[in-house]
Amino acid sequence: MESEKLYIISVYSENQVGLLSSISNIFTRRNINIESLTVFPSEFPGVHHFTFRVFTTERNATQVVKFIEKKVDVLRAFSFEWQHGGASEHEIISDYLQERKNQLK
Amino acid sequence: MAELFSGAEILLKSLVDEGVDTVFGYPGGSIINVYDELYKYGGKLNHILVRHEQGAIHAAQGYARATGKPGVVIVTSGPGATNVITGVADAMVDSTPVIVITGQVSNAALGTDAFQETDVVGMTGPIDKWTYQIRRPEDVAPAVAKAFHIASTGRPGPVVLDFTKDAQRGRAEYHFEKCDFIRSYVPVPEPDEAQIDEAVRMINAAERPFVVYGQGIVLSHAEEQLKAFLKKGGIPAASTMLGLSALPSDFPYYVGMAGMHGNIASNLMTQRCDLLIAIGMRFSDRVTGIVSEYAPQARKIHIDIDETEIGKIVPVDLGVLGDAAQVLERITERMNFSFHDEWAVTARKYDQVEQAKVVAPEVQRTDGPLTMGEVISKVAEASGHDAIVITDVGQNQLMAARYSRFRSSRSFISSGGLGTMGFGLPAAIGAKTACPDRQVCLFVGDGGFQMTIQELGTILQEHTAVKVILLNNNWLGNVRQWQELFFDRHYSQTRMLNPDYSLIARAYGIRYRMVDERAGLDAAVQEMLDSDEAFILDAHVEEQGMVYPMIPVGRRVDEIMLNRNEWYEDGK
Ligand SMILES: Cc1ncc(C[n+]2csc(CCOP(=O)(O)OP(=O)(O)O)c2C)c(N)n1
Repeated sequence: MESEKLYIISVYSENQVGLLSSISNIFTRRNINIESLTVFPSEFPGVHHFTFRVFTTERNATQVVKFIEKKVDVLRAFSFEWQHGGASEHEIISDYLQERKNQLK
Repeated sequence: MAELFSGAEILLKSLVDEGVDTVFGYPGGSIINVYDELYKYGGKLNHILVRHEQGAIHAAQGYARATGKPGVVIVTSGPGATNVITGVADAMVDSTPVIVITGQVSNAALGTDAFQETDVVGMTGPIDKWTYQIRRPEDVAPAVAKAFHIASTGRPGPVVLDFTKDAQRGRAEYHFEKCDFIRSYVPVPEPDEAQIDEAVRMINAAERPFVVYGQGIVLSHAEEQLKAFLKKGGIPAASTMLGLSALPSDFPYYVGMAGMHGNIASNLMTQRCDLLIAIGMRFSDRVTGIVSEYAPQARKIHIDIDETEIGKIVPVDLGVLGDAAQVLERITERMNFSFHDEWAVTARKYDQVEQAKVVAPEVQRTDGPLTMGEVISKVAEASGHDAIVITDVGQNQLMAARYSRFRSSRSFISSGGLGTMGFGLPAAIGAKTACPDRQVCLFVGDGGFQMTIQELGTILQEHTAVKVILLNNNWLGNVRQWQELFFDRHYSQTRMLNPDYSLIARAYGIRYRMVDERAGLDAAVQEMLDSDEAFILDAHVEEQGMVYPMIPVGRRVDEIMLNRNEWYEDGK
């Protein structure tokens, strides 16, 4: 058995009614208990930031991130082992938004 | 001032501008404004009135699977919406583009337990590709445009638009603008050149390469790319059930269907190959058997458009994210010409065993009752292997998958991932509506037929000329088979007393013929195929027929039952 650790799953999304419940369903369907959840506007206009703290395995954490990203209204999702923090998240989202903007032009 | 239209009318205008010609639906109070506009819409949109909302969504799925265009469903709120849920889940797991418009109560009544209010957004969000509640008339056109983009691109899937009364009745301007960009959604990932090169190296180095492909080939229109790839690499290939018909059955490198009731060759070659190339398939447990023992000698490449699929079930040595047609084209261009003749012809050896031990006993009988295999083979042959084959779920489905032959893609439509009994009849109506010039043959059991039998009313009203081959065995056959083999013949609740189907056919004004004798089979099948109206062929087949070969649950895919007493042993 892979050991369970505390993970932070960090999600950036469009502000979409119903999205939170279908994201939390991704955890419950895999029997992953959500220890805590915060939702707040991110530093990017119109982009919401959710963070979930969950005890789970590395494999589950990676899979959950992919399934969350599969949601149409999710820009990007990340998982970190607790305490590592996400210094590069800001840059990744910033680059992502820039890149998508360029593709639109 | 610009002209204003009601949200209900904007919905219909948007559908027409998206190229929709047919919608499947059922009216009710919360969608009545849309039906009122439809009344004025005349011939621009063909609305098929089903007899139950589950029928509407399965018909839309049949339509979508036959054409590749999204199927459209319009239903009312509350029970109308909950009645389509099974189809939404089915379309999700089988990657079928459908757009479901559910009526919803007025904005002010949301959350009040108003009459026929139900939480559609909450219920469908976890099981569909995208859900959106339209609460303002000015949001209708953009929401419909997004819905079409999302449903039909990338890995296709169902989209639900929950359409409140305020949005239907309120007025707004209408401008049609197709959506082809959503900031948060990248439907077709650009293949990574390094991954392509690595795939080429692995393929060039392989001695016994083997392909298992799924419906992804059909969804990406990659049929020709797959053929070119297999020919250049000299690589044998098996199909999953949903991939059936992507390659013609007589394609030289095609070795059959993989999985629980698949062909011996495809399962044995999976176990013996040294490189498994999985394309547009998702390693269903019906395909893999025990996952840890699946393709044990092989390095594995998985090509898929959906990142969640790569490594989800079977750990792979290389994942290639992208559209199957694009990826195959690039790999084929760079790889070496190769032959693996000695390896490829091992399929023939396995086929001979299957022919002798499984196929002949099923289709070459001279006495006793008709078998499912005989009926299906006869229909396949008499229709020139050119019909669209629709199935329900159960033995009828597995046997139709095994004994049908295909000449063109999009010719096999079945509920795979969800295994929804009752899928067949409405899906056949949808496929025939989409392809009126093709022969559409439904194989259905007596159990599944009765799950959506009310759709015979739709056939009556619409004159949809589907050919229904009822494989009537008086049992819930597939469950009975499991009870016989694994539950000491405890036939718990699987015996079914059937109604007189000739009277049912008569009540609906549908042509009918019963066949229970080998001698009458040819003529009966011919009469059915020749009919230019709908037809029910009630084939009374062996009551306790079995589907073989079979890999029981919890076994490796080389542990294959050939019949009650005999297992396949490789190399003997
Ligand atoms: C909606 C639904 N309920 C139950 C099942 C479980 N199930 C799978 S196959 C089967 C028996 C099907 O019997 P029938 O339709 O007569 O077809 P046959 O297997 O005899 O061809 C059942 C009950 C299912 N797949 N779908």
